[in-house]
Amino acid sequence: MKQSRLQTIVRNSACYALVAPTFALLAVFCLVPFVWAFAASFYRYEIGGEATWIGIANYQEYLSDPTLLPSFYNMFILTFIGVVITIVFPLGTAKLIFSLSSEKARYIYRILFLIPIVVPGVAVMMIWGGMIYSDSGLVNETLRLIGQEDLTRGWLSNPDTVLYAVSCIGFPFASGVNILIYYAGLASIPDSVHEAAQLDGATGFRKFMLIDVPLVLSQIKLMVILTIIGGVQGFQGMFILTRGGPGFRSMVPGLWMYFNAFSFQRMGYACAIGVFLFVIILALTIVNLKYFKSSEDLQAAK
Amino acid sequence: MKSLLTLRNASLVFVLIFSVWALWPRKSTDAKAPKVGRECTNPARYKYVIKVAPGFYLPGLMPMNVGKPLQGLNIVAEDFEKLYPDTFIEFVGVPGVREWLVTQLSAGQAPDILNVNVEDVWQDTQKGWYVALDPYLEAPNPFIEKGQPGSVQWWDVFKYQAISRGKAAPDGKMYCISTDMVETGFFYNKDIFRKLSLEPPKDWIEFLALQQKLKDAGFIPMLAYVGNIVDWGVDLTFDQFYAEILPGVDIIKDPIREQYLDGYFDWDEIAFLRSKGFFTKNDPRYVAHWQVLKDWRKYFNKDISSADMMKLFVTQKGAMLWDGSWTVNKLARDPDLDFEWGVFYPPPMTREFHPLCCGIEQCVIGGSAVQLTVTNSAFKDTGNQETSERLKRVMAFLQFLHTPKNIDIVVNECMAFLPNVKGVEPHKELLPFDEILARRYTTTKWTYTFDMNFNEIMYRMLDLYLNDGISLEEYLDWMQKDLDMAIDTIVRRKKIDFAPFEKRWQELAPARAGMKALPPDAR
Repeated sequence: MKQSRLQTIVRNSACYALVAPTFALLAVFCLVPFVWAFAASFYRYEIGGEATWIGIANYQEYLSDPTLLPSFYNMFILTFIGVVITIVFPLGTAKLIFSLSSEKARYIYRILFLIPIVVPGVAVMMIWGGMIYSDSGLVNETLRLIGQEDLTRGWLSNPDTVLYAVSCIGFPFASGVNILIYYAGLASIPDSVHEAAQLDGATGFRKFMLIDVPLVLSQIKLMVILTIIGGVQGFQGMFILTRGGPGFRSMVPGLWMYFNAFSFQRMGYACAIGVFLFVIILALTIVNLKYFKSSEDLQAAK
Repeated sequence: MKSLLTLRNASLVFVLIFSVWALWPRKSTDAKAPKVGRECTNPARYKYVIKVAPGFYLPGLMPMNVGKPLQGLNIVAEDFEKLYPDTFIEFVGVPGVREWLVTQLSAGQAPDILNVNVEDVWQDTQKGWYVALDPYLEAPNPFIEKGQPGSVQWWDVFKYQAISRGKAAPDGKMYCISTDMVETGFFYNKDIFRKLSLEPPKDWIEFLALQQKLKDAGFIPMLAYVGNIVDWGVDLTFDQFYAEILPGVDIIKDPIREQYLDGYFDWDEIAFLRSKGFFTKNDPRYVAHWQVLKDWRKYFNKDISSADMMKLFVTQKGAMLWDGSWTVNKLARDPDLDFEWGVFYPPPMTREFHPLCCGIEQCVIGGSAVQLTVTNSAFKDTGNQETSERLKRVMAFLQFLHTPKNIDIVVNECMAFLPNVKGVEPHKELLPFDEILARRYTTTKWTYTFDMNFNEIMYRMLDLYLNDGISLEEYLDWMQKDLDMAIDTIVRRKKIDFAPFEKRWQELAPARAGMKALPPDAR
């Protein structure tokens, strides 16, 4: 017997009631600001001032903004390096841990690699900025120690090194939940697959590339999406360490959006940048979902 | 399996205990450490709780990490509260960033009295966020004895009249009280100078030669942050190139401001002069002054962004440090400093140094240090400045603070700034800056004239240019776009009418007739 839609809703009313507060909060803090930002992007609007309708002028201005190309170039480089780092180092580390024969050792290493996530990201940035890259930091002092004074520099203030110096923050990039995600993927591969591969003569790196990597593609896909979103949206590191400088050599669109909103008080323009970034993230995510196959897709294809 | 479980349990328990220990709030390691700020613990008891963000003078702070924690403002607040028992004065520390300021002011939650660069205030005067202080400054300060300066009109108590009055906004109103003064200088290591038989230079040619000798001797000749070069360096070199042609290009003669800021370029003048080809690639003076800065760059430390300049100076790796008068507090009070130091001001750029310079004495680029503004929070009781009793009390505290006795307590508690109240002498170590402040004021202050967007781009691109990241040509392109954008914004915001400027420009044509190297459009 088929129930009417109304009956279904009434029957599930308790569930809707339970979900309602969460949805209301999401709407207030995520959806409404998004709609507001979208609307504000069509106004010349200063904090504390009057808003004037200017149509798509903010978008037009952003397309000719002198920071557009350098900031998107920096964002692309940083995101690309970030994606490579997110795939290579945690996956390699997870594989090394997974390959340990002792269950105790695996457990201990998992905990040890997880502990550093208790250090706040801001603190990590400040440690790198103050203790590693500063004039009397680890890198320069090491260079002085080995008689390479000429190679010392302000790593974060030199136009040629700043982007790569920022990319290296977090080295050796083997901590946090990324390892656990890959570890869980590796653990879900049935033993029979490994045994079959061994029988076929695949061992070591070859087995890792041909068996493990394809079977953790779902995890890789997730990490890639999250890294791309973080790369396009994120600017905290730049804000703390370089403020996008020197010049615009480490500027990213998110940081320029922030400066426009709160330093220059150009809230409408900042909203236009935000909408622009949203469209890019959406497009990249769709491309990723559509064309980057997960392990399930690969298995289904077989 | 059992041992594994035990191991897991043990490690988890360890992590748990460690986390609790790490997060547990602990007592201060120094029980005698004074509290920073001053907080009202029982606001219900007071009719007025006035919040003050005094910046540098926040009680409990220890400027430059030497001496004792500041207590001066606490003493003044206690004395004020004896006069007004229904009032409590809170002192708070606030972030020195514009983001914070803008959000707090727009929400009406900023402190009642706030230390902020008044040039930042000028950007927002049309929004009603700040109180114009002219009616109070033109009236007697009731806390000053009759017959003393300030008893007829409060204005008269301020020592550095020109600079204080020069802080009036371009709308003609005064939004800040200049509590004290600051100036910059080259702090130098007298021991190193003696060892190399060097003397403070008389002109820029000598200055460059001196720096070369220091460099050859293995010292970093000049220590300075890029921010100082962008702010102070740009204004000083700009003035050296443009001071001579002011009679032919200084368009506006504001009867009130001009007597204190003779020849100063405001944003409207810069916007007009830009239309005549100044401040472009076609302006030889403009191009030359950036080149002078770049040529000077080789004597600065390699890293002008993040190096610890003070450390390099006190460890005698650097021979000179370009910094503000607040550095005196560190150098004069540091017991570990084992060399003699002095201070001199940048020497003039003569015609021998550059044909477009005239050798005029270097101008003042400092000025008001702590600038106290009154915000829209001060009249939140009625929302109307005319009827607000709270605003009267806030102003009473400002007037009470700016009396000779109280300014002496607050400003002279450390050796950083010069008191801006008559009858209060500065520390003798700061007297060299007092002499500098008597000079004429700079032709303009680029980093405070336009909006933050302009400043941000200028700072970034000059940093890049000085560090060989871009060529002069590229830098000038950036600056031209930056200035044009800033001018568009300011013309739109302030609705500037350039017709009177054009008329005055024509009148000044004879004065420009004999001037060399003007842009082609400026003839």
